Amino acid sequence: MALADFVHGHDPLDPLRRFMATPLRTRFRVGTTRVMVQTNDFRLLPELPLDTGVDQAGNARFEWKLVRDHDAPGLLEETLLLTGGPLTIASMGPACLVGVDHERGELLAFIGYEVDSRVFQEVLVPFLGRLTTAAAESRKYTNLLNEHQSTLHW
Amino acid sequence: MVNLSFDRANLVFRTEFSLGGVRCRLSTNSYKVLQHSIPWQGGSPNPEAKTFEMDILEDASMGSPTESRTHFRGVRHLVFAMLEPRSFVSYDLLRKQVRGVVSPDAASDHTFWKTQLLPITVGILGTTLGVAPLHCACLTRNGDGLLLAGLSGAGKSTLTAALARRRFAVVSDDWTYISRNRGTLVADGLSAPIKLLPDTVRFFPELHKFAPHKTMNGEMAYEIEPEKFHPVAEFTSCSPKWIFFLERTSVPGCRFVPCTSTYTRHFFKSNAERLPEELPAAQETRSEIIDRLSEYPSWIVRSGDDPHKTAEAIEQFLPEATLGPR
Repeated sequence: MALADFVHGHDPLDPLRRFMATPLRTRFRVGTTRVMVQTNDFRLLPELPLDTGVDQAGNARFEWKLVRDHDAPGLLEETLLLTGGPLTIASMGPACLVGVDHERGELLAFIGYEVDSRVFQEVLVPFLGRLTTAAAESRKYTNLLNEHQSTLHW
Repeated sequence: MVNLSFDRANLVFRTEFSLGGVRCRLSTNSYKVLQHSIPWQGGSPNPEAKTFEMDILEDASMGSPTESRTHFRGVRHLVFAMLEPRSFVSYDLLRKQVRGVVSPDAASDHTFWKTQLLPITVGILGTTLGVAPLHCACLTRNGDGLLLAGLSGAGKSTLTAALARRRFAVVSDDWTYISRNRGTLVADGLSAPIKLLPDTVRFFPELHKFAPHKTMNGEMAYEIEPEKFHPVAEFTSCSPKWIFFLERTSVPGCRFVPCTSTYTRHFFKSNAERLPEELPAAQETRSEIIDRLSEYPSWIVRSGDDPHKTAEAIEQFLPEATLGPR
């Protein structure tokens, strides 16, 4: 299927916008999880406690890649959440697409240009935080389960 | 919030089928969805074909379309697709897993499965499954495959329709999926229709019987099944033997210029979608397939003629092409 057909002036060899650079980086904490954020828009840097760099044993690490999508119109729609296995996927229409990979500790999101700072901070950041906490917990549980199973195999 | 769990216990209908050089293990909660696999059942599957998992939920919460929209995004190993009628699909390229929610309309729409969801899925996942999706048409006659490539606007689809009229079977119009099978290359198509712009009606008066409609990328076009040009014009697989690169010129006539393997390799590699660094094996596989394909005899077809005359010239050239470039 010609994904390139949907390009509309964008790099025809990158029809999915995979290679939008996200040069802005900082670190935050979400609960006990250390989160490294990278984005292409200052307004997508979450207002969360900054990470002090003090790493306590057992702190989970997560990476957020938040891409401001200048070609995705519209406001947030009702959330569709797909769960099961190592991925959680959320769609709020073209204005917000999120994928959380529990095993890799990654939250990858596209956020449309009409989602303003207030909506981002008040609606999306708490939502992304909850997804991150749940994924970190699930990863911790999976790791414990794997350790337990390998102990049983011995 | 609509929260849908892809618990295996909910996906009670299961089947496996081959398409586009890959194998799909489909699990769904919908019998209607299961039925869309029927055209792909049977045949002789490629024993080297790799498998992906496709979990599909039919859910009434997807509702009816409010506005038409098709939207794709990808980041690292994840791809998101919003399709009409009201469907949302996610692709995990590392785990080779597809998860989608479709509306009742989409669940029962065979055209949606045949022309959108399945071709898009193979297009997105193909490189991770040992298949190189290449932007070219593929036709076959007597088991010999002819790949027809060219830049956008060169007239590949129009020429494909003209060749179909001359009893060439159409494997694919727009995208061809190349894979390896027992040491040789195989070209697969997904039975998608030939897309023709409204102005091609001047070459194919029979198009007056149909109406152009708005396609997924928003442009108006006819989408015509190959058998409309000839009753036996559809095929799903073949062994490629020749490659033709179509170039339009203002000079009347049709000339066949042999091209080097470097040209062929460069054409396909420079027109291939960029892949993320998370998928090094996919890049390598695609590169190997293109390298192999570039050794096949290939020509640039410089044509200033209409598509029917160009198709005739290709047909007359094939006996010479069988001897290879000279």
